[in-house]
Amino acid sequence: MVLFLAGLGLGLAGGVAGAVLPRSARLPAAALGGATASVVAFIAAARVLVSGHVATAASGSVLPFSGVRLTLDPLGALFVATTAAVGLAASCFSVGYEAHGPKSRVTTATLPLFLTSLLLVPVAASVTTFMVAWELMALTSLVLLLTDHRRRAEARAAAQWYAAMTHLGAAAILLGLVLLAAHAGGQSFAVIAAHARAMPAAVRSVAFVLVLVGFASKAGAVPLHVWLPRAHSEAPSPASALMSGAMVNLGIYGIVRVGGVLLGGTVLWWWLVVAAIGVLSALFGAVHAAASSDLKRLLAYSTIDNMGLVLVGVGAAGALVATGHRTLADLAMVAALFHLVNHAVFKGCLFLGAGAIQHATGTRDLDRLGGLVHRVPVTAGLVGVGALSIIGLPPFNGFASEWLLLQGFLRGFGDPSAATMTVSLVGVATLALTGGLTAAAFVKALGIGLLGQPRSDGAARAREVAPSMLAGMAVLAAGCVAVGVVPGAVVPALRRAAQLGLGLTAGSPSPIRSGMSLDLAGLRGAIEPALLLGALLVGMAVVWGGARLVAQRSPYRSARRAEAWGCGRELQTARMEYTATSFAEPLQRVFADVLRPDHDVEVTHAVESRFFPQAVRYHRRVDDAIERSAYRPVIRLVSAWGALARRVPNGSTNRYLAYGFVALVVVLVVLA
Amino acid sequence: MSAALYVDALDLGAGAVLVCAVTTLWRRDLRANVSLLATQGVALGAVAGVQAARTGDAGLAVVAVLVLAAKGIAIPKLLSAVVRRDPRSRETAPLVNVPASLVAAGMLVVVAFLASSRLTALLPGSTARLAPLGLATVLVGFLVLVIRRKAVSQIIGLLLVDNGIALVAFVLTAGVPLVVELGASLDVLLVVVVLRLLAARMHTRFGPVDPDQLRELHD
Repeated sequence: MVLFLAGLGLGLAGGVAGAVLPRSARLPAAALGGATASVVAFIAAARVLVSGHVATAASGSVLPFSGVRLTLDPLGALFVATTAAVGLAASCFSVGYEAHGPKSRVTTATLPLFLTSLLLVPVAASVTTFMVAWELMALTSLVLLLTDHRRRAEARAAAQWYAAMTHLGAAAILLGLVLLAAHAGGQSFAVIAAHARAMPAAVRSVAFVLVLVGFASKAGAVPLHVWLPRAHSEAPSPASALMSGAMVNLGIYGIVRVGGVLLGGTVLWWWLVVAAIGVLSALFGAVHAAASSDLKRLLAYSTIDNMGLVLVGVGAAGALVATGHRTLADLAMVAALFHLVNHAVFKGCLFLGAGAIQHATGTRDLDRLGGLVHRVPVTAGLVGVGALSIIGLPPFNGFASEWLLLQGFLRGFGDPSAATMTVSLVGVATLALTGGLTAAAFVKALGIGLLGQPRSDGAARAREVAPSMLAGMAVLAAGCVAVGVVPGAVVPALRRAAQLGLGLTAGSPSPIRSGMSLDLAGLRGAIEPALLLGALLVGMAVVWGGARLVAQRSPYRSARRAEAWGCGRELQTARMEYTATSFAEPLQRVFADVLRPDHDVEVTHAVESRFFPQAVRYHRRVDDAIERSAYRPVIRLVSAWGALARRVPNGSTNRYLAYGFVALVVVLVVLA
Repeated sequence: MSAALYVDALDLGAGAVLVCAVTTLWRRDLRANVSLLATQGVALGAVAGVQAARTGDAGLAVVAVLVLAAKGIAIPKLLSAVVRRDPRSRETAPLVNVPASLVAAGMLVVVAFLASSRLTALLPGSTARLAPLGLATVLVGFLVLVIRRKAVSQIIGLLLVDNGIALVAFVLTAGVPLVVELGASLDVLLVVVVLRLLAARMHTRFGPVDPDQLRELHD
């Protein structure tokens, strides 16, 4: 625990250094603080995950509600370790990123503080400590989001949305936790967990629904997701990586911690609700990601999609525990947490990559990118690793966790209970559909963004980014490959966290035999990613070698190569290429009912004749249908109410006096 | 003096205070309003003096003199200096016309009597039965504040409220401690001085003062 506290101290020191040091030393010092804090916290968390020991620390409390109480248990340690991994990469990346971007002392100093608060949330062990850490996280991320507020109106709008949503969420969480603390007679998590079974069922359910609203909004679950695509795409890239790789996870953490650990979650419908939200989020996020042509927005929607999958897994695990299928529940929970960790790693890598691409080309609009694989090969390669992971191809980590999730859902069919069977069925369908849509989205990102010819001057002039930025991305890309090749190495740690999250006893037999391979004991299912990788490499070598051999023996090997007639390719320009918008068009057509895109075709005719169009302009915009139908009316109502309220103070002294006078007379009459 | 005479004198003084307040609503000439305020101050001082004579309290006698000096003489003098600067010293456009405001005043007096019925029931047969007059003065003063637009009128309204509070204090408790009265009087004097300076400054800068025009500062 001392080690972990030292890590928090280093993070704070980084923040202070970023605020007070002179200009030249500020950035490296802050990044160093963030990076060392990540490394130290990772080691502390890894020790807990390996040994299973629980470490605690508590300060003396002078006043009621003033003491700090921290507990590093395997569940919290898993999230600390994940955050630390992304934090290390983001800190490295920020050195190069901020050195050339808008120089802001506030941003430099806030990034390590944001990281520190992210590390603090999973170890908080009392209601007050948790809420303080939670609000620190919200506040620092809001500050980071406002980095670009002078130049971009979108950043200001995103900050407003984010501030409103995160505050409503925090209020709901606070209400739920306070309700539990009041019934338990104490605010430490241990006390609440000890008294939770004796609480009335209604209290437990109300508290769970309240915290679910808050945590689901943080995890970006539909329909509380509206802040996420805005915030994640407008924040500076290191902050986006932390938000998408670490902050959204804490929403899942909160649901598991409160629903599973504190309340002992054995109520079936809670978890069915969680799974239903997850299904909605996964599909909604995947469809929007497939239709999006802004790189960071695409990544943000894909975060909603992946968090949805994790929620389905968590919901299925909870439902299986409630119906008494502990082994299967164990499997589903491990799979969900595994996917969460993997998502953090590859999405962190991709957001950093998006930052690097934006840095190199000046744009993140896929329609204006292209040809980057020749101009910035290292960046393109690292982004490629992240994209292949998220699509779920072996030997990368996305494959391992999606395989586990799929296995968990498929095994759920064997269960006679209608509820869990339905969840499993829907889970399989969701996983299949989102898998396909994700593949489409990232084929678009890779194919349009990295391959082909550059579609703008910025893309044509792209130069490789600073080594520190590449190092940050490489850390996470290496994680993608390592976890993907040897998934068995992390499974025991995931199991410790999963069992704690489900409230299962530690001694139960593991459903997953893990070594180099993943082997589902007694369930007949196994993968060996290392072997897959070997086979893949051998296969590639054979194909390549065979092709060479055939080419050498070919009678035409000395033939001169030239374009025969060109086939129209002689004059090929970037304007003949497929764009991201055109790539997404068929999918957008299929899902038009969900996406409700706005099309606009504007034709300018020649003055002489209307038969000769001079210019055709096509404009497409995909708004968030949920935002339009559910949020806009509420916002309009609140604005109207606000406009009405502004008429009350009209500047006339007499009117203000009259308000007081009328109030006085009314009070007198009432009292009389 | 006999007890009955004391009671009559108190009745007269307290009644005069309220009548002055209501008359302020009737008259729109600011000079007349200032002299009504002076009359009210004298009446208030007389109430305090009669209470002092009845209880034989020396402290209260000093308070009575102070009230007479401050509210009967000093404050009206300061105000009349402001009024004299302004040639058109009439409240030309009150927000509510005179007959309506007099009707409102009548209703406020009823409210005051209703509201303080419990207060008077506490001490039957004492001077507490005059408390409704003080409360009515407070309400009428507030009404002046609400419906008049000129700065001087609003100062007068504020002073009416203050006088009403003082009257309640004198009739409800057998005299206010000297220190309290001194503090309150000085506060009011200070307020008047500040407002007077402000009004004079605004007058030189913008001409005749109408706080309603401050609305333009809004937003």
